[in-house]
Amino acid sequence: MAAEDISPTSGRLGRARPPLGLPGRRGRLAGTLVIGTGLAVYSWMAASTAPFTRSALVSVLLPGAVLAAIAIWRPPARICPPDELDVAGFSYWAISLAALFEWEASAFRDDSHTWHPSLTDLINPLITPHPLKSAAFLLWLLAGWALVRR
Amino acid sequence: MATRVITIIGFACVITALSGLEIAGRRRTNRVPTLGEWLGYLMRGRAGRAGVLLGWLWLGWHYFAR
Repeated sequence: MAAEDISPTSGRLGRARPPLGLPGRRGRLAGTLVIGTGLAVYSWMAASTAPFTRSALVSVLLPGAVLAAIAIWRPPARICPPDELDVAGFSYWAISLAALFEWEASAFRDDSHTWHPSLTDLINPLITPHPLKSAAFLLWLLAGWALVRR
Repeated sequence: MATRVITIIGFACVITALSGLEIAGRRRTNRVPTLGEWLGYLMRGRAGRAGVLLGWLWLGWHYFAR
């Protein structure tokens, strides 16, 4: 037992320091790579579905169901929320978001895609190319994971 | 066409303001919270958590399923 407590490199007593690149660290890195690749592939496949189809709906609902299941039954370590929120600081966010929704609502009311486009009318052409739509889908998935950790 | 340009400038201004608030929140030299902080604050309770996650799901449905 005592021999295990002697570091093989220094010969001093104490807990032996594990060498760099240990299997646990490699395993975590490999796991992250596998999950990242899986998410990228899923995003690529989901972006290839045609809008207004059942497959497009399922491709969105499936991550929602998986995240909901994780959040309920196997919640990850959560980032602690602040105990209180500064009202003045948050009011800047509230005003900006209200302006965004007001601008969007006025576009929706005018119902003129050419003259007064909504944010969706502006974003949809940007994410029409398949790689960009895949990237946007991946970003959406990562945002969902970030929300579950909150 | 001027109306369209004004609309786009309006959206750009608001999105720039939101990005600026996130940057300001991360600098920690003021009282502005980051997006993650105030969303986390809203998500402390079960209802807030469900609401924010449903909003996320709606966003995905809106942009990718229709």
